[in-house]
Amino acid sequence: MMIVKSNQEQDKRTIADKKLSEKLIGEMRKYNEQLAKAGVLLDLSGLHGTSRGTRIKFSPGGKKALVDGPFTESKELVAGFWIIDVNSREEAIEWANRAPAPHGPDQESEIEVRQFIELEDYLPSEAIEKYEEVARIRLERLSQMKKEAR
Amino acid sequence: MRFMMMIKMKKDPAAGKTPSKEAFEVMGKYNEQLAKSGVLLDMGGLQPTSKGAKIKFSEGGKKTVVDGPFTESKELIVGYWVIQVKSLEEAIEWAKRAPLQHDGSDDDCEIEIRQFFEIEDFPETDRVKAAKDAGKKAGDVYKEMAKEARGQK
Repeated sequence: MMIVKSNQEQDKRTIADKKLSEKLIGEMRKYNEQLAKAGVLLDLSGLHGTSRGTRIKFSPGGKKALVDGPFTESKELVAGFWIIDVNSREEAIEWANRAPAPHGPDQESEIEVRQFIELEDYLPSEAIEKYEEVARIRLERLSQMKKEAR
Repeated sequence: MRFMMMIKMKKDPAAGKTPSKEAFEVMGKYNEQLAKSGVLLDMGGLQPTSKGAKIKFSEGGKKTVVDGPFTESKELIVGYWVIQVKSLEEAIEWAKRAPLQHDGSDDDCEIEIRQFFEIEDFPETDRVKAAKDAGKKAGDVYKEMAKEARGQK
């Protein structure tokens, strides 16, 4: 997962006032196309600002507390992500390094590269079989959605 | 509406620590509920940040690669679900039902719910059309994966 990090300044902006330069949009589109054509892209998306979000805090003893966004105290927020399937961590870093600066060339920004835990990382067990069953249901649902979309 | 439910912790789970068999089963049941209700689009767990890296983009096109672990970070993502529901309220309901096991340390564990941008949120331009095409390509990859998964079954 290549996570595009965000900060308070970026989080406050909406699409309307982002006035993303045509150049950045074009560069990002080209980059996304490269990922897709190389066959490494599994998913990509952008997230709305945290003013539309909520957090649920879990504390010891099963206590839960709801906190509505925006999360003004946070220094690290997520703006969007790509999911890629590559052969090594180095290849993932290489792809992230080729991305256009996500918030534009005049802004500080950061992409965090994180590796997924695969089911094979766990020892086989009944619980793991459950997860495989969930994965199967999920993929069927996705393919059904794609069919509906066409 | 699509929402991402991110599981966040203040630091990486202790090295080599894997969830107990019970925790695994309880989480498996919750995932099954999400899947069988037809709301689950994707989910994943992430390896500790020691296996990750960061690319920092600075002014003037400078890029710096920083290897994990990210010990200075206070909010780390350990996993997530992507769900499709009718409202933020419905997403909150699902998140509240998640059986997160607090590991007894002082670290807060939380789920952050964030709404996805949909392609309809953007004005219809040639570039948006191109993005839709790229999305369709990604969808085709998923379809292939679904086919493979069924084949293996």
